[in-house]
Amino acid sequence: MEPDRPCPLCGRTIPWGETECPLCSEHHGYLWSLRRDTFLLVIFALLILMFVITGFVVRSYAARERRLAQDWNSRGEMELRAGHAAAALADFRNALSHARDNALYQLRLAQALASTGQFQQARNYLLNLREREPGNGPVNLELARLAVREHSIPEAVQYFHDAVYCEWDGDPMVRRRAVRLELVKFLLDSDQKAPARAELIGVAGNLPPDAELHTQVGALLMQAGGYDDALRLFRQALAAEPRSAPALAGAGECYFHAGQYAQAEHYLNRASQQDPHLTQAAAMRDTARAVLDLDPFIRRLGEQERAWRTKQAFNLAVARLEACAARRGIDVEAPGGDELQTLYTEAHAVQPHVRESTLQHDPELLSNIMDLVFKIERTASQGCGEPQGLDQALLLIAQQQEGGRP
Amino acid sequence: MIRSAPTSPMPPGATPSAMRAAWGKWRQRLRWEPERKTLGETQLFLLLAVIIGLFSGLAVVLFRITIDWTRTGVFGSALTPPATRILLVPTLGGLVVACLVIKLFPRARGSGVNQTKAAVYVYDGFIPFNTVIGKFVTCALAIGTGQSLGPEDPSLQMGAGIASALGRRLRLSREKVRLIAPVGAAAGLAAAFNAPISAVLFVIEEVIGKWTAGVLGAIVLAAVSSVVTARWFLGEQPLFRIPEYHLVHPPELLAYAALGVIAGISSLVMVKLIAYARPRLKALPRWSQYFQPAAAGLLIGVIGLRFPQVMGAGYDFMDQAMHDQFTWQILGLLAAFKILSTSLSFISGTPGGMFAPTLFIGAMLGGAVGGVERHFFPWLTGSVGAYALVGMGTLFAAFLRVPMTSVFMVLEVSGNYSIILPVMISNTIAYLISRQYQQTSLFDLLARQDGMDLPSMEERREEVTVHVEDAMRVYQGAALKIEDPLSVALARTDASSEGFVLVEDATGKWYGITREELRRQAAPLREGATLRSVLPQEPLPYLHPDQLLAEALRRLGDWPLLPVVNRADFRKLEGVVGLPDILGAYRPTIP
Repeated sequence: MEPDRPCPLCGRTIPWGETECPLCSEHHGYLWSLRRDTFLLVIFALLILMFVITGFVVRSYAARERRLAQDWNSRGEMELRAGHAAAALADFRNALSHARDNALYQLRLAQALASTGQFQQARNYLLNLREREPGNGPVNLELARLAVREHSIPEAVQYFHDAVYCEWDGDPMVRRRAVRLELVKFLLDSDQKAPARAELIGVAGNLPPDAELHTQVGALLMQAGGYDDALRLFRQALAAEPRSAPALAGAGECYFHAGQYAQAEHYLNRASQQDPHLTQAAAMRDTARAVLDLDPFIRRLGEQERAWRTKQAFNLAVARLEACAARRGIDVEAPGGDELQTLYTEAHAVQPHVRESTLQHDPELLSNIMDLVFKIERTASQGCGEPQGLDQALLLIAQQQEGGRP
Repeated sequence: MIRSAPTSPMPPGATPSAMRAAWGKWRQRLRWEPERKTLGETQLFLLLAVIIGLFSGLAVVLFRITIDWTRTGVFGSALTPPATRILLVPTLGGLVVACLVIKLFPRARGSGVNQTKAAVYVYDGFIPFNTVIGKFVTCALAIGTGQSLGPEDPSLQMGAGIASALGRRLRLSREKVRLIAPVGAAAGLAAAFNAPISAVLFVIEEVIGKWTAGVLGAIVLAAVSSVVTARWFLGEQPLFRIPEYHLVHPPELLAYAALGVIAGISSLVMVKLIAYARPRLKALPRWSQYFQPAAAGLLIGVIGLRFPQVMGAGYDFMDQAMHDQFTWQILGLLAAFKILSTSLSFISGTPGGMFAPTLFIGAMLGGAVGGVERHFFPWLTGSVGAYALVGMGTLFAAFLRVPMTSVFMVLEVSGNYSIILPVMISNTIAYLISRQYQQTSLFDLLARQDGMDLPSMEERREEVTVHVEDAMRVYQGAALKIEDPLSVALARTDASSEGFVLVEDATGKWYGITREELRRQAAPLREGATLRSVLPQEPLPYLHPDQLLAEALRRLGDWPLLPVVNRADFRKLEGVVGLPDILGAYRPTIP
């Protein structure tokens, strides 16, 4: 490095790289000749000019940054919709590099992070957003979804509740209801039926007159075990749209679960007629019909019919017993301590009395025979799985007779 | 001087002659009056500080935008550019920057902090305006094309350059021109960091080295006005979105202590690397200087193929690190590669600052430590982002050796006072490690490599100060009262070995007279006269034991001795001090 030289005029050091004394040489310039007050005015004028130029530059820069951020965000949303979460992640990061504090882009980034399994990173972004805006509905909802993915039930429920009571753009009622329904689905998936029912009753209280919505909430209520409330909603839906197949099926199912098989058969039959693809409703209708056809305890039946039904039930039960024993490799005719063998012996003993003529005149025998039928069906269902078809109907009759609902 | 604005310069409906008269009145009031030069200069200095702040703020805003425009222009708008650009852009950019620096802006090279210090201590506050333009152009190009450097140091120097130019043009006194450069430096740094307190502290801690009331007000004014200007245009948001912090468990502080150790060692690695390689590269033939930044750019590009985060200032990635967007392994690698790439950029002579890379490395190291702790002790760890934030301050303290600034910087940036405990622990450990194993700070090292011996602020802070109590001795004679008769005084003086007689009055003032003078004055006086009649009118200056010895030297004047009195009781003589005592006290401390 060259050594500094002293100025021959003023004696001050001439910095390295300068050919002449900067302080002495400046005296020759035009600006140096200005008086101090004049120069101050020049400075102020220059300052104003600089402010104007900077303002123009900043405005154009900000517009460009905004445009770039929007472009990247749109790209990211497209990628996210197409299921390319990793590509969307990079796009949202790019968007945020041009609009760092944009809450929407941050939310999208968090969604993309969650989609790629980076839960912790997503949570950090969301918590940061929540800290800034505790009342932001979408942020709380995303946090709830994150907690759902991480199977953290209390945290999820808390965030869902926060989301319900947060601010929402657009139609807040609709968004809140959607959040609540999402919470309900989560609770049902987590086998939390009681809180799910409580949420649904809350939702049901504020439903607009919309048959589809009533049907949807009714179906969820049914899943949560709230058949009475569900039935009320299905009936409201049917009042608005009498031919709604889902509402008919829902109402039929509610009646079915309530043990009112005649009404169940009526609604389920109508549902199947409206929509032949409702196979579950059709199966349920068949079961309901079977119950109605087999139940010997239905009022206003003739004695002969009652006896005939008892005999049918007995034969079905014995057949089920034999099939179940065969499936389990048990010889029912051999003596032994198995319950199936005991029941077979019992059935074998009463079989000679199971005649329509006898049963018509002996209600006590009829009752005893049916008790045996119910016992056989229950034991068989415990040992050989849930019954189907007519056996299922017999089991339902048994449950109805015991006062319990299915 | 500048007076306050007139209240009614122009009445409505004024004629041209009235306007001329009003203009004359304005000019009259604005006119500098030589007879009130001292007061005028002080006021003008403060006004100028605000103007400097505004200009610096504007310059920094334009500088940041230019860097971003350059970056987007050459790399595209994605955070991760295509591989060919990653390799080519820094290489070609380095070549262009080298040509500009060598041919047009030779003073754009090097540390802005040291050039500002050189302006203060060597060049009477002179920083050529050409340097401002050079820094703006070359640094924007270098950082925008991916060199691993930051915009803060150039901003600092641009502020100092603007200040120097304005100060000279306004024909401030030599002393004020010398002080105006740090004022501009604070303004530039404050706008670049968006943190006025840190900028003020940095300039005081690293450039000026002492708290001077005269310049502090101007520095604060300049820093505030520059930050206000920058925020006006760029918004209120800080450089980073700050994560939430709370101390989860007291043992977590051990992790922060570990961060201090790691940051201290990392800063040593970086300083040693620069100290070793920089002079060797500078010693290569002159033609090679055209290619050094390009070679550094190529190597950075190679690193950037896998870790594009190390290119440029990297604020976006610091933000991501603070929000837990990287695994601790990646954070560790980013820190290591950033050390390498920043060292490459800097030693190759590419203009640009070390502040942002320091913060980047600190953030990555902090995040890595936080990540490791969370991995192994999840019940102890708070947010990883807090570690990244503390890491920034820690490396700043260790690498740039500005412990006070680093603590306040973290506090100012985070706005969270509760983070102070980990910051102080971590910073102190890192700073002590750095000091222990690297005696000379980075800025001093660079200055010495450039052939300048600028005052080291760190050494100045550590200087041993000598006090009056180190030099004073017991007064051998008996202190006399002002009402003592001359005969008694003469008798007691004759019995004493001291040649200078100290006399106290009832109010605690001390007077002095030599023995010979006392005899001479007393001879013609009548019997019964008191000491009052022979003593000089002016009392002696006095000292206190805790005062600096330099102050004693200043007050001593032509007096052979000065009394050293108790601060609570001026009549209590603690000792005396004379010129031989002062020189004797200085002698052992002179190396």
